[in-house]
Amino acid sequence: MSYYNEAFENPDYHFSETLEIDRRRSPQKNLFSRQTPYDASLHGFCGEHGRRGQNYPLAIPMASMRHSSEYSEGLPGVNVLSRSLYGNSMDTLFFEPEPELAYSPPSTFHLLDRPYTRRISNVSEDSFIQRRNRRPPDEIFLTSSSLFETDPVCKEEEELVGNLASMSAGERIKAIQKMPETMKKKREIRNKVLNQITKKSKHNSTQLSCCTECLQGTVVSFRRFGNSLSEYFHLLQLWHKTLKIIGAKFGTSVLSYFLFLKWLLIFNIFSFLINFSFITVPQFVAAEPNNLSFMGLELLTGAGYFQQTVLYYGFYTNATISKIENGSSYNMQLAYIFSVGIYFVICFLTLLFSMAKSFSRNFTNPHTHSGNASKLLCTWDFNITNEKAVKLTQKNLSTQIKEDFADVNREVLNFSLTERVVRIVIHLVSWVASLGTAVAACAGVYFLSISNLKLFVKERKNNLESQAAMLVLPVATSLLNAFIPFFYSWLGHLERFQTPRHQIYVTITRNIILKISIVGILCYYWLNIVAASESQCWETLVGQDIYRLVVVDFMFCLLGSFFGEFLLRIIGTTVCVSLGLPEFDIGRNVLDLIYAQTLTWIGILFSPLLPGIQMISFSIVFYVKKVSLLMNCQPPRKVWRTAQMTTSFIFLLFFPSFLGVLSVIGVTVWRIKPSEECGPFRGLSSMYAAVSEWIEILENYTASKWVVWIYHNLLSSELFFFILSVVVLIITYLHWQIIEGRKTTTKLLKKQIANEGKDKKFILEKLRTLQRVDQNPSAPRGQDQQRSSSSYYPSRQPAQQVSGRAFDSNQNASYNEYPSSAGILRGTGFPPDSEKSEPSSRPGMSEAVALVLRAREAAQWEDEGDNEDFQP
Amino acid sequence: MGNKQTIFTDEQLDAYQDCTFFTRKEILRLHGRYHEMAPNVVPMDYTKDPDVKLPMQLIINMPELKENPFKERIVESFSEDGEGSLSFNDFVDMFSVLSEMAPRELKAIYAFKIYDFNTDNFICKSDLEKTLNKLTREELTAEEITLVCEKVIEEADMDGDGKLGFADFENMISKAPDFLRQPLQALYCCQANEDAVKSVA
Repeated sequence: MSYYNEAFENPDYHFSETLEIDRRRSPQKNLFSRQTPYDASLHGFCGEHGRRGQNYPLAIPMASMRHSSEYSEGLPGVNVLSRSLYGNSMDTLFFEPEPELAYSPPSTFHLLDRPYTRRISNVSEDSFIQRRNRRPPDEIFLTSSSLFETDPVCKEEEELVGNLASMSAGERIKAIQKMPETMKKKREIRNKVLNQITKKSKHNSTQLSCCTECLQGTVVSFRRFGNSLSEYFHLLQLWHKTLKIIGAKFGTSVLSYFLFLKWLLIFNIFSFLINFSFITVPQFVAAEPNNLSFMGLELLTGAGYFQQTVLYYGFYTNATISKIENGSSYNMQLAYIFSVGIYFVICFLTLLFSMAKSFSRNFTNPHTHSGNASKLLCTWDFNITNEKAVKLTQKNLSTQIKEDFADVNREVLNFSLTERVVRIVIHLVSWVASLGTAVAACAGVYFLSISNLKLFVKERKNNLESQAAMLVLPVATSLLNAFIPFFYSWLGHLERFQTPRHQIYVTITRNIILKISIVGILCYYWLNIVAASESQCWETLVGQDIYRLVVVDFMFCLLGSFFGEFLLRIIGTTVCVSLGLPEFDIGRNVLDLIYAQTLTWIGILFSPLLPGIQMISFSIVFYVKKVSLLMNCQPPRKVWRTAQMTTSFIFLLFFPSFLGVLSVIGVTVWRIKPSEECGPFRGLSSMYAAVSEWIEILENYTASKWVVWIYHNLLSSELFFFILSVVVLIITYLHWQIIEGRKTTTKLLKKQIANEGKDKKFILEKLRTLQRVDQNPSAPRGQDQQRSSSSYYPSRQPAQQVSGRAFDSNQNASYNEYPSSAGILRGTGFPPDSEKSEPSSRPGMSEAVALVLRAREAAQWEDEGDNEDFQP
Repeated sequence: MGNKQTIFTDEQLDAYQDCTFFTRKEILRLHGRYHEMAPNVVPMDYTKDPDVKLPMQLIINMPELKENPFKERIVESFSEDGEGSLSFNDFVDMFSVLSEMAPRELKAIYAFKIYDFNTDNFICKSDLEKTLNKLTREELTAEEITLVCEKVIEEADMDGDGKLGFADFENMISKAPDFLRQPLQALYCCQANEDAVKSVA
């Protein structure tokens, strides 16, 4: 702390010339070459380093470069800080001022990073940032050494500025934003870059200066306009403030539920807009009068009056709508099929991309630290700013750590055989029980729905009683959906899982099985039984069914927050204080959302305006949940791995839910015969037939031949899909192989890091010894040297011999089988004699070099043993 | 629009915009917050880049930071003099990094600084102990703390030097994407303040 402060407080320190140079040097060092100390030669800092650096071939495959840069650093971009640190320690001394002495291991990083320095010309913004951020520890030594350099420094700064200037405006801003620098510094750099750009443009077009000035003026004002526009877009972001408050009081995990809800809401708004504008609005033009009476209960049942409205499939016309005689017409069939189709394609892509993104962010290296480390340094939810919440989180964290200790102690005990058998039996029984419940629920829903169908088809009465009877099925379904999860969580408690995460995942799996199988059995009923029944318009019946399910589910959601949260709070605060405030059950609530969204997706085809209804219900749910949360709940006690949970939620939405819906829609469109007397597709053999008919018509027009061609050769040709899937499989396989290769490289690089650490320790130790010896003025130099070298002597001989052996075996054995690993090892291998041939003008230096050499050899010796693991 | 000129010039706002993740309006609001903390010290007119610094004591009493156990460290990490006094530049910088728009790499750098209590560029055992104490309100026994810290180092230390360098740290947090995210009420709760500013201007 002290040196740090000192350095900053002292204004002289700041503005002293050397430091100024030093500071100015820093950016481009990062930018271009600082990964490797040897590149100092680039800046006129030549010597053995440069030459030595060139001695080694570039043996690292390109694929490994990224990893190397990931791991090969030491310090965050604490530029000024680190510099002041070591700048100060210069006098008090710790390392000798000669840079060669202070650091000269034949680092593997050096080799790995070499390619970077060769590609200076095409520094991408990304790699630029990366290297800025990751400063190798070596740099410390170098920067201190740079104090002794008298090189022109401005040039390098120009390079940085030039580099930034050559980027596009957006990239440049991003690069500057990402710099871990103080604002002052950033602004300085930015101003320089801007100056250079204006200079350049002036230089380029001296005659057109007036014009360019105008142009620049417009560019600037355009940018400002864009910025203010984005500010307004910012305002449009839904519930921004609410989300902030929730995040501050309940932390990221609860926030993730609301974000998910918002995300689904946006899906529905989008779908509603598409359907409304392309299907419903044209239908209004051709609407027929509705002569059914409105009673009020229809809002719940969706039957009766609504049957003859744009809400359902059956109401839409199959005619082409043309307002103006002989004008262009609007084909309802195509509009229907294409708007639904395009919506699903967009949904698919969105889901896929967001899933892929969050997978790549959260599951990139799943087998690293699982427990304590991340628990300690990553758990703190900086989102929380509420005092109570903070205290609670702290308390939870300490209990959790204590529980972990208890767990460790328990694990040591180990279970006996009988205990293990009992455990397995309990798990099996609870799985059987949960699956059995799911099957029973499905059977119940199935028989209920069949009896329901009789009600629809046989007794065509429009009185209140029969309408109310329609509600039996959705209410029963919602009841099952609401109460079986309680049974499941009770089972989960009974099973006593070893980790809470285990329990959460198992409970979620069971719940999703239940919900999806209920939806599945309903789909079976709709597509196989309702569609085959003698009803007049089965699509409308299905649409009504889904409408009822959605509405009743929504009501149950509201009731759930009332009973589950409000009443529990009342009980928890007054009657039974030991219960305490209820927690917000993220898992259950998210599954409810997924269920509701699945229903909506299925319903889009049968009731195009269903997303609109879901949109309304989701917004209400948002507010109700928000109020209930803020009033009733306390922050969750468990520490959720939020990011991973979100990923799995999106995955669940994608996998059983969305893909299931796609298959249902696919069957409906391709296989099932639409009803004869209603809907846009009446009279066709399947919905898809509309498209084929359209293509047949198009064949008559020469102008649209390409559409026909695409249809015949791409969309409806098996060969094309066959080829496509083969190509996809090949690409997948290649990527798979690349990943495998990278895994090996990662392994090797990790090993290297470990070795590097050993090297560092060893060298530091030796250097300290050496320094102690050197600082002892009474001892004559020669003696000194002898002493130090003799003290190392014993280790020297065997190390060299062994290294030779290790080296050979690496080359012989692993080169054939593991080209990449052999490459690395060979690259890191240090020809034992290269150093000795060098004229040792400074005795201290050559000694240090020898030391380093020995360290490397020792490390490789150890490595040899490890390497055998790699060789089958 | 009128009040913008009185606080910052357009060039200044552009510069701030280019260097942070904020929009003009947000920068103005931040200025409002900054000004609010010490109306006598912080001038309204920032066109000349006045050299004003607010002490840490004021900053850590902001509602955004007040309850954060690492508030002192956060402020210290962003202050140019390392003591915790923040100029407006540092202030904006801090919130820029803490905002949700900031990329993870950048956050990682500052998170490392925050956890590095003794600023030796490594997270060593004493840093971890301090972190743990802050996280748990010193409810654990000394023994437990040492045990946990040892475990953490054992788990995360890749190069075996007994302390966590930035590489180790970054590798570890690569799995916690949403850490170090501060809800910036500063930007959403100071509407009233801004209106007051307008009426003054």
